[in-house]
Amino acid sequence: MEKHHYIAVVFLLAGGILSAIASKDFLSMRDADILHPSQFVTTTGMLSDYLPEIKGTYGDTKVYYFNSGNPGATVILLGGTHPNEPAGFIAAAVLVENAQVTKGRLIVIPQSCASGFTATDPLEACPTHFTINTQSGPRTFRYGARGGNPLHQWPDPLVYRHYPSGQQLSGMESRNLNRSYPGRVDGSFMERNGFAIVQLIKKENVDVAFDLHEAAPEVMIINAIITHEKGSDIAANAVLNLEFEDLQYSLEISPKNFHGLSHREWGDSTMTFAFLMETSNPSQGRLRGVTSEALVVEGNDPFYKTASKLDNVRITYDSSGEPLSLRVARHLQGFKRLVESYNEAHPENSAIIENIPEYNAVVSDGVGKYLK
Amino acid sequence: MKFIRVLVMIAFGALLITPLYSQSKEKFEQPILITSAGQSADVTMAAMLCKKVNLNAKAVNRATAADVKDAKTLMIVPGFSSKGLGAAGISREQEMDRVKEVIAAAQKQKMRIIVLHIGGKPRRGQQSDDFNKLCAEASQYMIVVKQGNDDNFFSDIAAAKKIGLDLVEKIAEAAKPLEASFTK
Repeated sequence: MEKHHYIAVVFLLAGGILSAIASKDFLSMRDADILHPSQFVTTTGMLSDYLPEIKGTYGDTKVYYFNSGNPGATVILLGGTHPNEPAGFIAAAVLVENAQVTKGRLIVIPQSCASGFTATDPLEACPTHFTINTQSGPRTFRYGARGGNPLHQWPDPLVYRHYPSGQQLSGMESRNLNRSYPGRVDGSFMERNGFAIVQLIKKENVDVAFDLHEAAPEVMIINAIITHEKGSDIAANAVLNLEFEDLQYSLEISPKNFHGLSHREWGDSTMTFAFLMETSNPSQGRLRGVTSEALVVEGNDPFYKTASKLDNVRITYDSSGEPLSLRVARHLQGFKRLVESYNEAHPENSAIIENIPEYNAVVSDGVGKYLK
Repeated sequence: MKFIRVLVMIAFGALLITPLYSQSKEKFEQPILITSAGQSADVTMAAMLCKKVNLNAKAVNRATAADVKDAKTLMIVPGFSSKGLGAAGISREQEMDRVKEVIAAAQKQKMRIIVLHIGGKPRRGQQSDDFNKLCAEASQYMIVVKQGNDDNFFSDIAAAKKIGLDLVEKIAEAAKPLEASFTK
């Protein structure tokens, strides 16, 4: 062999090693996150129980049921609709690992867009995982993409035409679960997922439904509750009650002409009262610096502090940042007060959900204390 | 005789002061028509506040001059919402025209106007302030969540136009002055 052959072999080997490392990292996102359900979880199932067509696909995901055995309302909570908005997923995980239902039923889907947990968004330089110190030591969870993995639904159309409204959106929104509702059985991968969730809501006669999200600190709708008009009184009452606890939430009513979103389509196509909550997540924002695990968990970014001083963000972004614990605490407290507000309006058909950690406790102890 | 003269002067002085005082303290009458100026969801919050203090109020997001005739007080909740305007399918200019029309209709039938600005900082700024100014200047009384008055925007209008103003820390605290401002 001549010298240039040796050089070629070295480069091939180096390329192979780098590819192996990258592949390991890439494939690690297919390893499922492990939750430790509370003793009060009565059964677990899969989303495909409501639509067998998605069984065995990356759209299928775990469903946790808390059945009190006492008649009452059925409440559903979805986390992980957008897997790059971790507060929703972690709030759902806290419920799965802690909640106790003494009246009615609670259904939790922590990773509603399971496909989106298997990849990160291209060009965003996001971490694949983040770690929380929990009761049992450090636990690692996936930080995914906003939409489903392109490997599971490809290619994106130039224009996404929502079914059945015909509303046109950018092509990448075709992989967004929260633009897919009410979905259709013979539709795209994501339309089938949306359809399965709507089938669940219908089949289980869900009275109150929650979809937990996050958004960049600079966008208009953060620290907000968005509801279908059916739920406006319930939400307004909850916002006032939250205000007594010094928690500010803005109230937004779901636009009637903006289709595909949970708060619009669940409300239109089922009997449920639909609520979507948003917190403020700097690791999603356009103004952020290094997108690290620390930013996801601690929510502290120097550029957002500067933006706050310049009055370019919608929240008071101080030295404590917007840590994950605070964002999860907001979701849990908002959920609690909205359920109470629903109960107040429907005393004949209420749900009592206990063991939800208090806002102040989650903020001061850290959310890890409420994960096993 | 001198004593009587002093009494007459005091009475005359009181008569001069009364209109200024009553401008802000005169009670408002029910029923109330609540409408938005900018199509934010704060209207829903305002309706909930009225409900909590048992005021007879009807919320019509896009009230027109025709809706005014059945009410005795017009409550305007100003604040721009692109989502709200988008949902209503109208432009900012169309919304501005509607608000002007409703205010004119209310003024024509000598109806009194309350402004309830409860959206704080998010309902201030370039897009909202045209609505805020228009409504504030047409009102006889304002209840404003302090966060929305950081720069004294509403205080300055209230002082210049001699409009009654109550500043509250939180939305929920608006219930008390709201209840107190209406005849039962």
